[in-house]
Amino acid sequence: MQELTFKVQRYTPGQDKEPYLQEFTIPFTEGMTVLDCLIYIKEKVDNTLSFRSSCRMGICGSCGVLVNNFPMLACHTPVEELQTDRIEVRSLPNFPIIRDLVASLDLLFEKHKSIKPYIISSDIREAEEPTAEYVQSREELESYVQFAYCVKCGLCMAACPTVATDALFLGPQPLGQVYRYCTDRRDMGAKERFHEVDSPHGVWLCHLAGACSEACPKGVDPALAIQLLKRAMVFDSMRLAKKRQPVTLAHLPVESKPKIEVPEFTVK
Amino acid sequence: MKETRLKILQYITGIGLFFFAGTHLIVSHLSSGEPTTWESVSGRAASAGWLTLYLLLLIFGLYHGLHGLRTIILEFSFPNYAVRVLDWALVVIGIAIFGYAAYIPISAF
Repeated sequence: MQELTFKVQRYTPGQDKEPYLQEFTIPFTEGMTVLDCLIYIKEKVDNTLSFRSSCRMGICGSCGVLVNNFPMLACHTPVEELQTDRIEVRSLPNFPIIRDLVASLDLLFEKHKSIKPYIISSDIREAEEPTAEYVQSREELESYVQFAYCVKCGLCMAACPTVATDALFLGPQPLGQVYRYCTDRRDMGAKERFHEVDSPHGVWLCHLAGACSEACPKGVDPALAIQLLKRAMVFDSMRLAKKRQPVTLAHLPVESKPKIEVPEFTVK
Repeated sequence: MKETRLKILQYITGIGLFFFAGTHLIVSHLSSGEPTTWESVSGRAASAGWLTLYLLLLIFGLYHGLHGLRTIILEFSFPNYAVRVLDWALVVIGIAIFGYAAYIPISAF
């Protein structure tokens, strides 16, 4: 590969009637990611191109785009992996376009907020003014930690065929996070969240297409979380769920370790 | 837990359908003898056991089918008031079909 042909979606609301593709030809360098290519286009070819990026290492989840009809993080996608020199980049489907490749993720964050994505403690005083640390075993941590890796990039929502047909459907990201928090032993808010997702557009609308898990760049597997959530809700509804014991607190030792003496400044 | 309970019923009726429809198929189509002769059919129609089985098959089949239809329809963004209208419409359709379909075996009993 000497050159890459990029077809990039362009769209300016109020100016363009609908999104269209603009073609760019750029030189290929070994190890280039799709994000590197977009940055090259913006810096060397057309500085009006808009896209979102931040960390460039698959942590922030900002640069989600549709690459050759598959939702991916642009920074996490080496061009060689695509095995073609013709690359089409569009903004994430199932989200409104702000401009060019920048999709508005407001809907994702609204849905995410609606499921109360934080630890709901039974002891409000302890939660607000902690006197000790919560004890959590390795097994308890492993039960949810995979689902805690979510970076809210929205790729799962873009891949979901049910979100595509029903905009009111909560979607894989919020539903996966419901399971993440309800499994956490420190959390006592399962009932509240179950009530939230037990709606006509809630958890039961998921048909397990599995596209969310395939798209997730962090290996979160939202489809698995949703299936486990369904099981938990059935058990809870049939009153077969095990009663959760309140999490134990480990009080910090009263005597702290001896402080390490600070070395004297070398320059006085 | 409204939707969850509806879904649990969907699972239960699915399992029930497997056994009731299976029994019907085995007896009416796969067993040896003459299950489709007039004597056999009228004999089953006069049996309280068979009447119960067919009524259960009807109830389970209706619920399972109408709930499945509701799930498909809900895939299109329906606001909550439209979901309530849909629910009541399906209840009315279900009762009407049950009344009509149950009348035949009950009157023959």
